[in-house]
Amino acid sequence: MKTATLNKSDIGKCIDLLLQADLRVIAPRLQPQVDEDGPDALEVLTFTEVKSGEDHQVGEGLLPLNGVKEFLFAKHEPLFAYEKRGKKIEIIPVHHEYPQTVIIGVRPCDAASIASLESVFSDANAGFEDPFFTERRSRTTFITYSCTAPDSSCFCTSVELSPDSAKGSDLHLTEIGDGRLHVEVITKAGEAVAKQLQDLLEGEGDQAAREKAGAEVTEKLTRIRDSAPIMEWLMDTANFDDEMWQRLGEKCIGCGACTFVCPTCHCFDIVDENKGSKGYRVKFWDSCQFDHFTLHASGHNPRDWQYKRYRNRFNCKFKIYPEKFETPGCVGCGRCIRACPVNLDITEYMAEVAHKAANPNAMKADPDFE
Amino acid sequence: MSNIYQPDLMTITKVIQEAPGIKTFHLKFQDEEVANNFSFETGQFGEYSAFGAGESTFCIASSPTRPEHIECCFRETGKVTTALANLTEGDTIGFRGPYGNTFPLDDWKGKNLIFIGGGIALPPLRSVIWNCLDLREQDGRFGHISIVYGARSVQDLVYKREIEEWNQMENVTMVKTVDPGGETDDWDGHVGFVPHVLENDFKPDPENTVAIVCGPPIMIKFAFEALERLGFKQEQMVTTMENRMKCGLGKCGRCNIGSVYVCIDGPVFTATQLAALPNDF
Repeated sequence: MKTATLNKSDIGKCIDLLLQADLRVIAPRLQPQVDEDGPDALEVLTFTEVKSGEDHQVGEGLLPLNGVKEFLFAKHEPLFAYEKRGKKIEIIPVHHEYPQTVIIGVRPCDAASIASLESVFSDANAGFEDPFFTERRSRTTFITYSCTAPDSSCFCTSVELSPDSAKGSDLHLTEIGDGRLHVEVITKAGEAVAKQLQDLLEGEGDQAAREKAGAEVTEKLTRIRDSAPIMEWLMDTANFDDEMWQRLGEKCIGCGACTFVCPTCHCFDIVDENKGSKGYRVKFWDSCQFDHFTLHASGHNPRDWQYKRYRNRFNCKFKIYPEKFETPGCVGCGRCIRACPVNLDITEYMAEVAHKAANPNAMKADPDFE
Repeated sequence: MSNIYQPDLMTITKVIQEAPGIKTFHLKFQDEEVANNFSFETGQFGEYSAFGAGESTFCIASSPTRPEHIECCFRETGKVTTALANLTEGDTIGFRGPYGNTFPLDDWKGKNLIFIGGGIALPPLRSVIWNCLDLREQDGRFGHISIVYGARSVQDLVYKREIEEWNQMENVTMVKTVDPGGETDDWDGHVGFVPHVLENDFKPDPENTVAIVCGPPIMIKFAFEALERLGFKQEQMVTTMENRMKCGLGKCGRCNIGSVYVCIDGPVFTATQLAALPNDF
């Protein structure tokens, strides 16, 4: 594998070089989320298109609010347009732009989620290829950046990842001290980007320093570290009716925030946005946490209680994704924990399931418990 | 770039009012090449669109042995089905499909078949009923065919003409029922819920027989229980699920029961397969 070093202070120059090569560059930026001049101005780290090397916060802060999902699987996407003419309908293809894109400053958890989305939207899933996703995916290169300061919601080491993992990366950057970055070329797409940046890259990387830095950050993650028994426990369908689901899920208010910030949640709705005799059929993000998501026309709802909807989400992450799509359903980014308005914590479920898996008779029939 | 979400256009060639709020459409592809390349097997479903309102999921209600057109049958319930119901002959709708798996007709050779359905669940069965009747006519590959069908009231029964046609056919037993209170003075069928009539009045012999059940989840549950008490084994019981769907392509994430996606892995399941799934339907 090819390695090099890069000055951290040269990242802005890297962005300028990529922009000069006519690439669209997406990077973490502090973006005002509320009225820019108002008293409530609040800046939030967000992946957004940048037009200059001066406007970026690559390697700063922890995780952008939005992740990279929306640049592959659009929040709102016209699938085609239609026009009614009497009894006839004309279907008009919609022109989409798929610019060659580099997303820089992607954290390892977000990078690992790309393969999961791909397993749903590519033709590997039942032979149906979502062309909008695959067109974008094939034109996007990911420059990842090892984490330096995980927070208390991070749990990537519990899902077989690490804060310095290069999984899903094309070109991987790790801070090795003294304002230097260790650069690893992972894929051909990464090599092409490295070529654009060659004037800024120097000699060879420092593998030992990179590994030491990764190990030091990994030590900072303190949440549970073994998710292997969780899937095994979920595979036993009897546990689908375990008392835990209702007890832990009762406080969920069904707002869906966890699903919208999640890098692997892939659910969407399809509707017609109509005006007069014309309109678009659009696909847009939906959430399995909403009560009408599975509501049948008859009024029957397979997931009629909120805890059942949360149970589905947990199962999707730790059973459905690995079993059906053979990719991880959870990358441990912790966004769902940070976003939850009622402090529902997916790692509490994980800990409880791990405990139940290890002690099959625990929590059953406590005569004093009411 | 082929767009999996883009429907083919079909013309409504005939509209039949089956029951209050329930219509059948006969549909033909507008593009000749699409029409020539189209084929489906019984049990499969499609996504039907009323442009301006969206898409709805229904089975293909006609038999592949009668390919001159395809049929769908739906109840006016929400936004899309209401918009569809407002369309008339000559209007255009969108169709994506066929999707999903099929009824395992090869496994049924030489066997007696019992079709059990309630209300708007007859259309999926009607496809396989006509398919089996037509094949039996050709080469006698199935034994006796029985149909147990019920609705809330006499007027809510769909395919009323065909129920009479099946009633007249040789080697077909037609058992019809309506819920208590739904009968009329001249009603000549049973009165009672479908699983109850099945178990207490019809009492089919499980020997060399397959039962195919379609209905709301609660009816499937009680029909399976009744069949088990009659001596049917799980592998002799088949159903088709009607979960809410949007894409039909295994991507939008709402029809799953555990790791099983009804749109891709179903909609046809045996009772054995259903018993292995988590209690989420």
